Parts: sequence; structure tokens; C-alpha cells
Amino acid sequence: MSPWSQWTLFFPYAVAFWLFVIGCFGITQSRNLIHTVLCLAVVQSSTYMLLLSIDFHAQAGAPIFGSTNPPGSPSVDPILHALTLTDIVVGATVTALLLALTIQIHRRRGTIDPQRLRPMSE
Amino acid sequence: MTASTANILAPLCLAVPLLAAALLAPFTKHMPRWLSSTIAAAASLAVFAMATVLVFYTSAHGPVVHWMGGWTPRHDLAIGISLSVDPMGAGLAAFIALLVFGATVYTWMKFDLVGTLFHSLLMAFLAAMCGYALTGDLFNMFVWFELMSAAAIALTAHKIEEAEAIEGAVNLAVTNTIAGFVVLLGIGFIYARTDALNLAQIGVVLAQRPADALVLASFALIVCGYFVKGAVAPFHFWLDDAHAVAPTPICILFSGIMVQVALYGVARIYWTVFSGALPPQSHEIKALFLGVGIATALIGAIMAYAQRHLKRLLAFSTVSHSGMFVAAMGLFDASAAAAAALFILAHGLIKSALFVCAGNYLNRFRSLDENVLGGKGMQAPLNSALFLIGGLALAGMPPFAISAAKVLYDAAMKDHALFAVAGFMAFASALDAGAVLRAGIHVTWGIGKGQITGYSPREEEPECDGERLERTPWTMLAVPLVLLGIAIWVGMSGALWHGIERAAHAFVDRQYYVGAVLHNAARALPQAPWEPRTAQDIGINLGVTVAAIVFAFMGLFRDHIPQMLSPILGPPLKQLRGLHSGIYTDYVAYMVFGIAAYSVYLVVAAR
Repeated sequence: MSPWSQWTLFFPYAVAFWLFVIGCFGITQSRNLIHTVLCLAVVQSSTYMLLLSIDFHAQAGAPIFGSTNPPGSPSVDPILHALTLTDIVVGATVTALLLALTIQIHRRRGTIDPQRLRPMSE
Repeated sequence: MTASTANILAPLCLAVPLLAAALLAPFTKHMPRWLSSTIAAAASLAVFAMATVLVFYTSAHGPVVHWMGGWTPRHDLAIGISLSVDPMGAGLAAFIALLVFGATVYTWMKFDLVGTLFHSLLMAFLAAMCGYALTGDLFNMFVWFELMSAAAIALTAHKIEEAEAIEGAVNLAVTNTIAGFVVLLGIGFIYARTDALNLAQIGVVLAQRPADALVLASFALIVCGYFVKGAVAPFHFWLDDAHAVAPTPICILFSGIMVQVALYGVARIYWTVFSGALPPQSHEIKALFLGVGIATALIGAIMAYAQRHLKRLLAFSTVSHSGMFVAAMGLFDASAAAAAALFILAHGLIKSALFVCAGNYLNRFRSLDENVLGGKGMQAPLNSALFLIGGLALAGMPPFAISAAKVLYDAAMKDHALFAVAGFMAFASALDAGAVLRAGIHVTWGIGKGQITGYSPREEEPECDGERLERTPWTMLAVPLVLLGIAIWVGMSGALWHGIERAAHAFVDRQYYVGAVLHNAARALPQAPWEPRTAQDIGINLGVTVAAIVFAFMGLFRDHIPQMLSPILGPPLKQLRGLHSGIYTDYVAYMVFGIAAYSVYLVVAAR
């Protein structure tokens, strides 16, 4: 294996790490709840990236077998795709909940800037 | 009972509440309150009964393993998804169902449902926690964990017209969602190494060689993720914001069991998955768990003492107890696991009773602020009496259950010669029970003129129909009364302690679990050594109770104590309070710091 392809195998993990860190950084700097929800989606993308890159092979196709790729031909691991799909469903639920809460906060407080909410101030 | 009957009970523990949730969801708006409460109560009682039967069955015959869709292991290799029920898991499910039943009884009369899906969400929450306790699959644990979070977010925001409630829910949502993703990253790493998701199967593969950086990183990620929900420093910040605003029946479940369920998850995963590769003798992980345990216990106790909002005070006391549970888990042996299990049971009963009493104050007097409530407690004498008894029970006064748990706890610490840790924990325990007692005395008799600091809105919306209650309905008083009664029974029942000790010995035995799950070789619970407690152990508990009372009066009569200490204690307390800012952006920053610290420590030091 050439050094270049070694690097390409490592690359998705680096991207996953970067997405996690930059997403969390975005949340810590967030001045808007909708921005926070989108940052959460970025953090979540790191999990998609990691799960999908675990069993990635350039030669392997989707785990759907037919005439062009008969059973037994190389394919990627379908379990990881199932995990990713479940992960997406989970993310959608939380996003919907958070956006609903955002609307309600805007109604009550007139702002969606977390720094200006300050629930603990006297 | 036959094996096939027992086998079908495990999935029924999840199916019954999920069906109840589905049944309630479309009709709940058109149902009277008593009917939806009754359906929810019946479902939770059914789960309680089935889980209790499973406890006895699995104790006598060994773990019950239910493979979904009949996908049993082929050639000792797990290919399906299992529910792997051992006495510890079944016992936890029974306790969860019992507390959910208590919560539904609380909602029976006068509780304001504001036409929502409250009971439906409650049933989903019950199913999620039971699923998490009973599953034998790492990824399914994540899915149940997320269902738990989603239900918890919606239930926290139940009082949707109150901005504070929504902010608490947002803090919970953001931190716990990131926690879920962190766990999932850990699961991804472990799947990359083992190609397995069944706990027993992963454990078999990992045990083949010592842990390397990848395994340690995945351990760190899973631990951090579940510690967020388990409220361990520096991940605990969301907890008090959510508990302070959640409706009372939900506080019962959050403080009583949800936080502890997450810690159970860490213990379960450690013993089944990692104990082969990362043996319990390794000092580095012990040091980590003990260190964060002590830190959490002290932070929680100090913050509890510095609160005047009753629910927030109780929430910080829960944080403090989380630290004590983690420290016990961190000894990584069977006796300590038994101590932690009994402690979790005892704390859940007593803390739930305290939260209900706080909720009753809110419904009567429209406030949870100690300064506002001061002196009004005499108008609700039974509730005040229960609150004070709960405070004493929390300190470890015999015959309540925490006293029994602490005997096992101190014995486990003594076995490891960790007297200093035991001392820290006794101090933390006295301080946070002292905070509860101070609040109780202040509210009941109005003693103590010094205004307690801390944040609290002076007036809050009650959770009942109408403006406020003239009299507390009997159901809302029966719940803490019965919970404290059960706590006395747990504190006296030697047979129960012995049962927990035996269950803990099986819980920490990876081969026992693997045999039942993969090789269809379930065995009855092994016998375990058992020593009855001595008078000296009870003496320690009485000492802690007295110390708690002393702390309570120190809080009440602060003005009469020379102010020598305030320049020393004041600034750090202010700093600590400042950290708990109530803004999730800060909490996420601490979380990322915590994840980095745990990971670097485990990967570098424990290698």
C-alpha cells in the first residue's frame, strides 16, 4: 500500500474529529439557539463520518446483491449503515424538539440569544 | 414457572409501557385525568410485577436471555439482538417501575396536565429506562438512552408557558444530545475493533489481549457520555437547571433513578465488555473513578448547601450522591457494587420522597424559595414532618435504608484501606443532608433570620389545577409516606441485602454473563459471603446524622458564628457558583474539556 492511500484511509477519521471539535466550538460561541441546533447537526455528522468510514473499501459495493454483484462478492458492512440510519432518526427527533423549544423561548423572552437568557441571574 | 414464560416476560417489560404510550397518545386529550393516570399506573404496576418475577426467576435459574425474532447465537457467536436479564438488571427495572408508579399516583388528583401527552411521555420514559436496564446490546443501549433523553426533554418542558422550564429543557437537550454522540463514537471504535455489538460477544473478543489506545479511547468516550447523564463532574451542570424546573413527578424519576440508571450502564458495560482487557486491578482507572467521585460528591454537597431553591438544593444533593456511587463503582469489586446498588435503591426512595414534599410546598404556597416559605411549613404539618424525616434519612439515620447502604459502603472502603475517601464521603453526606435539614427547619418553624443566598424566583406557577391548593390531596402525601415506609423496610431487610450482595457477585463475573448469553449455560446465583452489621457501623451513621444536624443549625444561625471563615470560604464559593451559570454554551465548554481530560488520562496513564 502506498503512503498516499494510507493517508486517504486515515483522512475520514481526521474529518470526523474535526467535525466534532468545530461543532462543539460553535456551540460554545453560539449567540443564537437556531445556530446551536445547526452546530449540533455538525457534531452529529462526525458520528456519521466515523461509522461510514469504518468499513469503507474502494472495491466493495453496497450490500445489495443482484446480477452484477452476486452474493459473496465484496460489499461493505450493512450493520454500520443501519446504525447510521438510526443515528439520523435520533438526530431528527432532538432537532425537532429543540426547534419547538426555541419558538417557545422566543415567545416568552423575545430573544433566542443564550447569553441574554441568563436564567440564574437574580 | 417455565423457562419460556420467563423468556417472554423480558420483552413484555418494554412492550407494555410502549403500548400504553401508544394507546394514551391519541386519546389523552379527551380523557379525564383519573383515567389516563389509571392506565399509566396499571402499566407501571404490570412492569413492576413482571420485573419482580424476573428477579426471583433469574436468582433461582440464572440469567434470562431473549433473542429478538429468534436469532439465537450460531456456533457461540451472537448474530441477533438480545435482552440479557440478570437479577441486577431486573431489580433495577422493578425499581424504575415502582418510582414511575409513584409518579402516576402523584398525578391522580389535582395535578395539572394542561392537556398534554404527559402520561404518554411518562410511559415512553419508563420503557426507555427499562430497555436500557435489560438490553444485552451496546447499540441498543444507545438507542434507549436517546429515547430516555427525548422523553426527558419533553417532560422537563412540561410547563411550556414558563421560560425557565424551557431553558432547563434546552440545557438538558444540548448536553445530553452531545453525550449521546460521544457514546456513539465510542461504540463505533469498539465495533471497528470487534465487529460485534452484543455486550458478551464484544467482551469475549476484547479479552483476547490487553487494552490498547483504541480500546481505552472508546472506554473513555462511553464513560464520558454516560457520565453526562449520570451527573459526574465536570458533566453535571445541566442537572440542577433541569431538576429545578421539571414537574414534581418527573423530578422523582430524574433524581430517583434516571441519573443512577446511566451509572448502572457504565458499570454494566465495564464488567461485560472491558473487564477482560482492562482488569479491575489496574490502579489507574480506580484512581480516575475515585478522584471524580470525591470531586463530584464535594461540589454537589457544597452547592446544595449554598442553595435556597428547594428543588435545586435537592438536585445538587443528587449530584453529590452521584459522586458517592461513582466512587463505590470505582473500587471495581463485588462488595462495592453491592454497596452501590443498595445505596442507589435507598437514595432513590428517600430523594423521591423529599422531592414530592417540595412539590407539595409549591402547590400550597406558590414558591420553592426557602426565604419565602420560611415559617409557613406549620400550615402543612404532615408534609413538613415528612420533609424533615426525609432529611434525617438522607443523612443515614437508622433504620432508614441509607443507613444500611452506608454500612456496606464503609465496609467496602475499609477493605481497600481507603479511609480518607470514606471520610470525604461522610463529610459530603453530612453537608448535603445538613442543607436539606436546614431548609426543612427554616420552612417549618421559620428559625434563622439570616437570608439564605443563592438563586430562586420568589414566586412560581404551582403544578395543580387553579391558583394554589388549600389542602394537599391525600395522594400527594401518600407517595412520600409510602416511599419512606419502603425505605424503612429496605433498611431492615437482611434478606434483601444478602440478595443484592449475591446479585452483585454475579454482576461482576464476566464468565457468568458470557456463559448465559452465548453458551446457553445459565447458572443460579452463586453464594456470597455475608456478615451482619455491627453496632460500630451504626454508630458512624448516627455520627453523620448528628453532624448533619450541626451543619443545619450552622446554616440557620450563621449570623451568630464569628465571620472568620468568610474571607477564606467566600471567594471559592463565588467562583464555584459562577461556574454554574445556567447557560449551556458554558456547559458544553466544560464538557469538551472533561472529555479531553478523561480521554488523555485513560489513553496515556492507563496504558
